[in-house]
Amino acid sequence: MTEFELIQGLRNGEEPAFRYLVDTYQDRVFNTAMGIVQNAEDAEDVAQEVFIQVFRSIGSFKAESKLSTWIYRITTTRSLDLLRSRKSKKRFGFIQRLLGENNEPVQEIPDFNHPGIQLDRKENAARLFKVIGKLPENQKIAFTLHKLEDLSYQEVSEVMGTTVAAVESLMHRAKQNLRKLLENQND
Amino acid sequence: MSTEKQNRINEIMDSLDGCTRAAAPDFFYTRLKARMENELTPAASGIWLRRPAFAFATMAVILLINVLVLFNQTNNNQEEAVSSTETDSFQSMAAEYRLNEGNSSISYYNLNQDR
Repeated sequence: MTEFELIQGLRNGEEPAFRYLVDTYQDRVFNTAMGIVQNAEDAEDVAQEVFIQVFRSIGSFKAESKLSTWIYRITTTRSLDLLRSRKSKKRFGFIQRLLGENNEPVQEIPDFNHPGIQLDRKENAARLFKVIGKLPENQKIAFTLHKLEDLSYQEVSEVMGTTVAAVESLMHRAKQNLRKLLENQND
Repeated sequence: MSTEKQNRINEIMDSLDGCTRAAAPDFFYTRLKARMENELTPAASGIWLRRPAFAFATMAVILLINVLVLFNQTNNNQEEAVSSTETDSFQSMAAEYRLNEGNSSISYYNLNQDR
């Protein structure tokens, strides 16, 4: 099925086209979301939301970019939305604890282990993911798409709606920040 | 920074190299379809009615209506109070000039007799 046929099928609400879309993109969407939200259950939730949004708004997709670029864009946006809501929930929980309304102990988020990492690198990767989580949003997206999804700087720039030079700069700053954060970590 | 620490950081930085893509969980499509059927059916369209934001908005509207009604009521009472004071002053004036004691008809009769 060509991309054009797929888009037409989706616009006509054909289930085989939707099934084909999910089969083709589910791993890419899930892996990207997983890299950003760093939790398998949340990543599945985000992936589901992404496909629901694609199904709902395929009519407004103008095909100016590739379908994959559009889907990556939705995935990164949805993942960042989840991170933001997680942060605001955390803040609200902190206020509740201050007011004495919620006396439950603070639950530390366990280290994230990406299933695609080689066994001998798992420990190092967990430490790297911990500091990736502290990067500014743009750097986090650029780093995740390039390192985990293996997208070229050109493809990352298309997803992020920016130039290749800007992505290069984002990657450079991301690596610098990650090094600084790792240096400051206690062994 | 020591070379040892530098090497350690390099190792950590390179730990994602050769990483394979994480596969979506089994039965992803089945769960997605179930969620879509749930979210896209008309029965589910009323879910927003149960959202706290909607409840708070409704409460705010009801409160606003109450405040407006109270405000109107107070204004009406004040107007009634003003009109009753006016009536009181007319009555006291009428009493002072004995207009309520039938003088007006007598004077009219007297006037007619004079002619």
